[in-house]
Amino acid sequence: MIVIRDKKLKKHSHTIRMVVIYTLLGLGLTVMVFPYIWMILASFKIPSEIYNRFFPSRFTLENYEMMFSAGQGGSDNLFIRSALNSLVVSSIATFSVVLIGSITGYALARLRFFGRDFLNNFVLFQMLFPAILFLIPRFLLMLELGWINTYQGMFSPFMVSAWAIYLYTQFYKTIPQELIDAARIDGCSELRIVFSVMLPLSKSVTAIVAIFTFMSTWDEFLWYIIVTKDYDLMPLSALLGLFTRGEYNSYPGIQTAGAVILTVPILILFFFFRKSFSKGITMSGIKG
Amino acid sequence: MSKLPGLGLVSLYVIHTIIFWLYPFLWGVVIAFKRWNIISPEKEFIGISNFIGVLYDPLFWISFKNSLYFMAVYVPLSIVSALGVALLLSRIKFLQSFFAVGYLMSYISAGVAYSIVFSLLFSGDGLINTWLSKINITIPWFSDPDIAMASIALIVVWKYLGYYSLIFLAGLQAIPESLYESASIDGASERVKFFKITVPLLNPSFTIVLVFAVMLSFNIFTEPYMITGGGPLDSTQTFVMQIYHQTFTALHAGYGSSFAIIVAAISFLFVFAIRKTVERDMA
Repeated sequence: MIVIRDKKLKKHSHTIRMVVIYTLLGLGLTVMVFPYIWMILASFKIPSEIYNRFFPSRFTLENYEMMFSAGQGGSDNLFIRSALNSLVVSSIATFSVVLIGSITGYALARLRFFGRDFLNNFVLFQMLFPAILFLIPRFLLMLELGWINTYQGMFSPFMVSAWAIYLYTQFYKTIPQELIDAARIDGCSELRIVFSVMLPLSKSVTAIVAIFTFMSTWDEFLWYIIVTKDYDLMPLSALLGLFTRGEYNSYPGIQTAGAVILTVPILILFFFFRKSFSKGITMSGIKG
Repeated sequence: MSKLPGLGLVSLYVIHTIIFWLYPFLWGVVIAFKRWNIISPEKEFIGISNFIGVLYDPLFWISFKNSLYFMAVYVPLSIVSALGVALLLSRIKFLQSFFAVGYLMSYISAGVAYSIVFSLLFSGDGLINTWLSKINITIPWFSDPDIAMASIALIVVWKYLGYYSLIFLAGLQAIPESLYESASIDGASERVKFFKITVPLLNPSFTIVLVFAVMLSFNIFTEPYMITGGGPLDSTQTFVMQIYHQTFTALHAGYGSSFAIIVAAISFLFVFAIRKTVERDMA
């Protein structure tokens, strides 16, 4: 008798525990997602309701219309342009980080040459240096090159990532030598091996490298406000940031509409590649 | 195999690193010893005067104090909440990845975007205060110099909570279940199991989260720049804002560079101290 009651009690307390866990997780998730929901709702509100109402009394597109009509001279739309600028800068940086990362990673993992061990250590060494050390001298370098206010000024420092090289190097060490040998017998050059053997096998690493690079160059703010001068060249983050502090200071509707436009592309990437996001974070956790 | 392909393949990396990493790094060190306003060709060697100037700069110490205040709020709050979420996540199977992804959503918000959102949401007459006023409370989140930095820390906790949780969750999943089972057989309570098994074996996760959090505390820029502009009363001035201001508004490139070197040295010291005191050899 007692044994049976004990079992029932145990099962009962297990259920209660599960209810508590799911409730806590659900409450926490609500708090975490709340700012997003508020942001999207606010962007469709009439400005007077942004501060004190959660649900809008009516939906309006006027914030977006005002944002997309902002321009100099009327013909050029600043915000659409800046979104395209962001796309160009982030895409070039991402493409280059993947390309140089995989080529360098292959050489460091699988080829023998003078200085390889030094470079392997140097890649790790580079990751120790905080970005703040490079801010001023890189700006001076851009001045010297005449790259202030140019696309190449924005993306050139981000074209190589030691972190990406490290990930590729680690991954390429695990690929069987037979595959490389077979490709060599077929007459493949080393570069061909990277593109037709290694890269197709490393899709998961490439996804991680690409999305984290794209996201960090899309979100970057400080470097862009330093290296650009003209509004029509700025990436979205820089334009929105400066306008929020300046012209749009008292237009919360346009600010939130801008925040939505800045967030949504990465949000879409996130939902498609959520596994890669999680994996990338877990890997960086283990690496350290 | 000839030795050429290897060198050929790494050449892009090597060239880029020399131009955009090594050269700027050395240049930054050189100009830290000079007085230079960027515009004029004149660069005067002034020894360590810039470094001494930084150490006598009241705004350096204010920023330092603000960073420590930020850290004092940010580090414990992030660790407790992220570990809490990770522990809850580790106990469920159904919907585990749904919740993990949901908590990670805040991590992808751009600095500029979530600064806009929270600056409106937490403004004096914003929605949060509208709700709080129903129970007769209003909190001057970003306008009271005593709590502005804590409010900024709070929103950064929001951003990285899911990120740190995932690191903890991976650490928790690496702890062998058999340890808990044999502890249960020995009659250990949940509390004992947590402090004798979970906490010591999570050491690598604690270390990495602490290092990330401390580095972030010294490098924060976008949030205070966007929300408070360093105010009220310099209560949210940070190192990076000072370096930005000194170099790009006041045009003291040499001074800014020596400031950056000192800040990098401080964060190195902190990271080193964490590794020495927190990190345990797991082997």
